[in-house]
Amino acid sequence: MLLQFPITNNPEVDLNTTYDAVIVGSGAAGGMAAHVLTAHGLKVLLLEAGKYQDTGKILHSMQWPYDHPRRGDMPPDYHALTNNEYTFRKAPYAQNSPYSKVTSYIQAWGFSDYSKTLVVDEKQNPYSGTRYAWVRARVVGGKTTIWGRLALRLSDYDFKAKDHDGYGENWPISYADLSPYYDKVDLYLGISGHPEGLPQMPDGKYQRPIKLTYSELHLRETLKGMDRMLTPYRAGVTTDGLKHNKYRSRCYGRGACDRHVGGCDIHAAFDSPTGLIRPAMDTGNLTLRPNSTVYEVTVDKDTGKATGVSFLDSETRKSYQAKAKTVLLAASTLESARLMLLSKSSLYPNGIGNSSEHVGHNFCEHVMGPSVAGIMKELVGKPRTLDDGRPGGFYIPRFRNVNTKQSDFIRGYGFEGGAGCGMIPGSAFTSPGFGEEYKKHVRDYAGATIEIGGFGEVLPRYENAMDIDPELKDTWGIPVLRFSYKFGENEMKMAKDMAVTGREMFEAAGFEVVSANDKVLPEGWSIHELGTARMGDNPKTSVLNQYEQSHDVKNLFVVDGSAFVNASCQNPTWTIMALCWRSCDYLADQLKKGEI
Amino acid sequence: MEPILNRRDLFKALTAAAFTTLQLPAAEPGAPLFFSKPEFALLDALTDLMIPTDDHSPGAREAGVAPFIDRTVAEAFLAQDKESWRKGLAAMNQFSQSSCQCPFMKATPQQQVEMLTKLAAKEKHPETEPEKFFTQLKETTAFAYYSSSIGIHQDINYKGNVLLEQFVGYDAT
Repeated sequence: MLLQFPITNNPEVDLNTTYDAVIVGSGAAGGMAAHVLTAHGLKVLLLEAGKYQDTGKILHSMQWPYDHPRRGDMPPDYHALTNNEYTFRKAPYAQNSPYSKVTSYIQAWGFSDYSKTLVVDEKQNPYSGTRYAWVRARVVGGKTTIWGRLALRLSDYDFKAKDHDGYGENWPISYADLSPYYDKVDLYLGISGHPEGLPQMPDGKYQRPIKLTYSELHLRETLKGMDRMLTPYRAGVTTDGLKHNKYRSRCYGRGACDRHVGGCDIHAAFDSPTGLIRPAMDTGNLTLRPNSTVYEVTVDKDTGKATGVSFLDSETRKSYQAKAKTVLLAASTLESARLMLLSKSSLYPNGIGNSSEHVGHNFCEHVMGPSVAGIMKELVGKPRTLDDGRPGGFYIPRFRNVNTKQSDFIRGYGFEGGAGCGMIPGSAFTSPGFGEEYKKHVRDYAGATIEIGGFGEVLPRYENAMDIDPELKDTWGIPVLRFSYKFGENEMKMAKDMAVTGREMFEAAGFEVVSANDKVLPEGWSIHELGTARMGDNPKTSVLNQYEQSHDVKNLFVVDGSAFVNASCQNPTWTIMALCWRSCDYLADQLKKGEI
Repeated sequence: MEPILNRRDLFKALTAAAFTTLQLPAAEPGAPLFFSKPEFALLDALTDLMIPTDDHSPGAREAGVAPFIDRTVAEAFLAQDKESWRKGLAAMNQFSQSSCQCPFMKATPQQQVEMLTKLAAKEKHPETEPEKFFTQLKETTAFAYYSSSIGIHQDINYKGNVLLEQFVGYDAT
């Protein structure tokens, strides 16, 4: 039995104290900041716009679909935006919708009724501008309550990307600076993976790796001859358990993580509330206030330093102030940029920390869409095996522009994939015809399918930016973001290449290609938004220094994905947390020395 | 990864130009919630032709596919998501009239199979109303059947959703 530590929605926290640090946002970054700073003995106030919800109780990871009145679907008056709606509608996408609640596209996946309260209502949280599918979770834990768990490291192919192809800027750190912090994150949170010795995707401190299925192993062997690699899914999931964390169980291979959005009610998959926040509370140094929508970083006019934040109680809408020696923004890449741009004053007329005018610019993420589905013929009609009792399938790391050079695009992409029979097999929706033949086809092909989908680096460009909409406001009266962002030529060429190489690998493995799709999904689909307050050594072209500290305001730190200088093609969560840990060690040290 | 299936799309028209809602009618005990009795009988027959009982497992009728669809359509929030079903069933009868000079339910089993075979030939690129309805019906029937206890356990013989000491697969070494 896992220990249930009560996190409540009690708003009665002490706001007369000047805390050592106030953190805005409780996801991967905010949770990590709370963990590291409280471990240093600092008194920390953590503010989260959403409520506390116990995912251990609401997710029902093992409920069978037929035991749910709508087979896991949301109530009829709820609507998840479809791929098409992001194109034929204009933002704000929920405008004039008749539904009671409209969510981003993510809620159309799997058995979504269980996660419907974790994500925001698009009606309450509008935005404007160019096409963008923005997935947000306002809840204690943020998007770690619904994340896909792929936990990868970046390398100097990313941190020093400019040295490889001349594009953009290098990060002000190298892999050697971050490597010890990746190790700390691995050991504290638990990660499953198989070491491969790849320079473009360094190995971590792994627990028991995920095993492959028959067809996946076959593809791995095939790729060895193509100078490519298939490795078991590197999952931010503890497969061996964590002796130091009594709130999390080890993984028991229930397979729920592929059926639900997120979906681990025993917290074997990392989430911020059980992995970071509850242990931080046990130090006695952390105060959490959910339901706190921060709208401004407050400033001392004489010193220019941040004094804390102003926030609204998300339910009563009463305004409060929190005072702190340091302010850490961890509200997500887009929300942290919004907050900096909203924090205008006579000292900071463009928004706090924005003398470079780079806040909200250089936005980058991952381009998705191209995918290949195939059949391993030897498995057609074979007796059923248990294929999905694991937190993920496999990953094919970037192979473009590593040892070779593409003539038509820079940087690269990786593929996520999986094979075998799920609870509701994909063959039910792809088998032709009807009747007994269709039924037999579904059955015979259910365990024989294998699929991959690409994730490619979107280059940071100054003109890909967000600003504050001069008119539109959210439910709380706070001005919202306006997007001016689209994929460029490099991304489109890369996406075309994904479909080609995906097919090529399947054909080399002898898989029958059932579909090869080269269509690009709407901007934002990857939910890997990054780069709106990038780090750098030059205060004129960057917002933060190498410790995610504002060049302009020494006691302001932005510890989420905002700080990224480029997106890499590897999933960002683990890097966000490693960077945040490093920055918080620095912050604690500087605070003790009186340098902040 | 691409989602395995996007189920909400199955019940929602993508054009969504006009938004109106219908009130749920008061149901007689035992009667279908949305469809008329003849409509329900046609729906039930069509789903069972889609996924019949065979020597491996029971089919759509035993798995309660038509009652599940009836309830989903009755609860649908937008009028157009209800009407597409009513119009679709009517289009099936019209298609039957023009093909066999009788409503679908009066056609012989062989004629019924021939009609569905014609529609299935266009399932990737449906154009006419009955062709579009065939695709809608097939997707919905597939989800309803393969998410049922019969579909998951008896037909697919799915082995997962259990506590595993360790996943049995192949080592990447």
